[in-house]
Amino acid sequence: MSDTLSKVTEVFCDVFDDDEIELEAETTAEDVDAWDSLMHVTLMLNLEKAFGIRFASSEVAGLKNIGELVALIDAKTTVAS
Amino acid sequence: MTTLNAQQNQDTERFDEITVFNHSRKLRKENKHDEALSTLRNAMRRHWLSAEGIEKAGRQIIKHFKTHDVKTQNILVLGQCTTNWLCNCLTASAFAVGMSVMATEGQYDNVMQELMAAASSDVKYDAVVLLPWNTRLLAEGDRDTQQRIDDEITFWQQAWNFVNNQLNTRLIQIGYDYKSPGYQGHHLGGQAGGHINLVRQVNEALRANLPEMSFFVDIDQISGMLGRENFYDARRYYWTKQPFSEVGTARLSEHVFAAYRTMVNGPKKVLVLDLDNTVWGGVVGETGPLGIGIGDSPDGEAHRALQRYAKSLQNKGILLAVCSKNNDTDAREPFEKNPDMILKLEDFAAFEASWDPKAVAIQRIAQTLRLGLDSFVFLDDNPVEREHVRQMLPDVEVVEVGEDASEYVHALEHGLWFESMNVTKADAQRVEQYRAEAQRREVQSSFTSMDDYLESLKMTADARLINEEDFARVIQLLGKTNQFNLTTRRHSPQVVEQMLGDEKNMGITLRVTDRFGDHGLVAVLLAVLKDHPMDKAGKAFDIDTWLMSCRVIGRTVEEFCYNTLLNAAKDRNADFVIGTYIPTAKNALVKDLYDRLGFTPINTAEDGTVTYELNVHEAEERKTFLAKVDADA
Repeated sequence: MSDTLSKVTEVFCDVFDDDEIELEAETTAEDVDAWDSLMHVTLMLNLEKAFGIRFASSEVAGLKNIGELVALIDAKTTVAS
Repeated sequence: MTTLNAQQNQDTERFDEITVFNHSRKLRKENKHDEALSTLRNAMRRHWLSAEGIEKAGRQIIKHFKTHDVKTQNILVLGQCTTNWLCNCLTASAFAVGMSVMATEGQYDNVMQELMAAASSDVKYDAVVLLPWNTRLLAEGDRDTQQRIDDEITFWQQAWNFVNNQLNTRLIQIGYDYKSPGYQGHHLGGQAGGHINLVRQVNEALRANLPEMSFFVDIDQISGMLGRENFYDARRYYWTKQPFSEVGTARLSEHVFAAYRTMVNGPKKVLVLDLDNTVWGGVVGETGPLGIGIGDSPDGEAHRALQRYAKSLQNKGILLAVCSKNNDTDAREPFEKNPDMILKLEDFAAFEASWDPKAVAIQRIAQTLRLGLDSFVFLDDNPVEREHVRQMLPDVEVVEVGEDASEYVHALEHGLWFESMNVTKADAQRVEQYRAEAQRREVQSSFTSMDDYLESLKMTADARLINEEDFARVIQLLGKTNQFNLTTRRHSPQVVEQMLGDEKNMGITLRVTDRFGDHGLVAVLLAVLKDHPMDKAGKAFDIDTWLMSCRVIGRTVEEFCYNTLLNAAKDRNADFVIGTYIPTAKNALVKDLYDRLGFTPINTAEDGTVTYELNVHEAEERKTFLAKVDADA
């Protein structure tokens, strides 16, 4: 598991208040029960804080799965550092 | 984790938010749910949580209420914007002061429908909160200022009548606000015709027309206090239709809760003040009555401001009390001898200067005044005393302040404990009579039925065959609509193109307007002509996809779609319309849509998918309040 994925998983567990969540690259919103459009935004806002990044409005809706999310975060943190 | 658990501990250690939530989660895992919740409550009482932490705490509290079937007071929040985060914060605000209040929201911008649903629901609402958003007020169009104000007031009056007469519950009306001066800029925005001007005028009209005994939450003032640039967050609006920032949401919820608390319990009745370094600067036992900081020094000015504020509270009927660790004579001397003192001994309803623990002294004050501790607010500069009172007397509101006396007045105002409704006894009696009378007589409301309301909206529907311009939008909606989506089939563009390539099939978009404006594309229908799924004789028109925007639920758009489908089926000489409901985690909203529309269930699969049929030869059109503007379907 990449560092990013494990940190993303931490944020998910924290936001959904559930330690049991396991994420893989293929995981989508359909796979996580409480992951509706509003919680998606809460997740994105929490991920921003956790990684010290900022998502553009154009980026938040188009993500297909966790793999794309991790790639996006990696791209942003690489640029940042 | 001492303070997080132990009730007797008196240290004043702070814990950060992450520690608080981790601890709470650990307790919950051990099935110690009440302790987990009091961890959150303790943290909120001590201002350890950020605005987003408060929202998160609220989410967890609501989840607990639901999973543990906790009996709560209930507040219904109906907004012209989404209010989910506000509800979470509101629940948290109440919980922080020991009240179990569950705030629930209605569907976004569906105020009247939700009120009617509330009237027939089993839940008894203790208050309804109405939150306007300025989209309709400031919408493009040629309505003049007066027309715009009249439209808004007429709309809310319908809601008020319903809350007062049908729900018989408390009404909290939030005002209108602007995020920025708009295109006119700061100078013209405030003048006639400008957005700021319009918002202020409509707020005045709301205040003037609001029914007696309701509470007006002046969001224009509240956002101004925090600063609109901090109160609003454009991103959150575009992402979720919730215009408020994290701090803005938390602050607004505190005001809404203060309104509720004031309506239910009235304002706090007693302000208990420490003396040394609170009412005056320095320690009187060391400096003597003339050496205290109350004169023309920066610190002295700050203490005088507090005294002046306390005196004003006393003038409006709040009782003042002293609770000081001092010799009684030392404590009284400054009031008698120092000419710079604004407060005098006779301003105090109780005077406790002794070396007893403050919790004991405050209890004595409560006995003297014959008032409950839950009507007390305690101000003390010493964090150890504050923590002691918090732990020993959880009903007392303890004002959280720093060391600088210049913050004290602001801290008292910020707590909103002395917000009041200016109600005299006669007023209260009158309201009782009014209430009783309202319940006795048959109530005349400006409209009495859903039909009248829907009629008044003057809605139109424009159903079109899916064309090139709409195609991308349709694909997008297929991909993202979760709630009002019967089958949640995420078709690719190719699949849809192929489906629509055959003229026997049908793909329709629906646009809806009402007298307030254009809702845009609100529904997509895809249906294909095929054999009956259960091999019955006759042709079947099978609804492959039916999705709709939640904004227009309950406005007979469903019936309009039904009529459209039925007529299209007739045109194609079909014998049946077939509907399918495929359950997902998110579409329970439409679970019984086909039942409501008179379809007959003919099959239930193992995964819960239900297939319905409607006999075209027997079915009739359903009543809808949408006027058709284009019949190319």
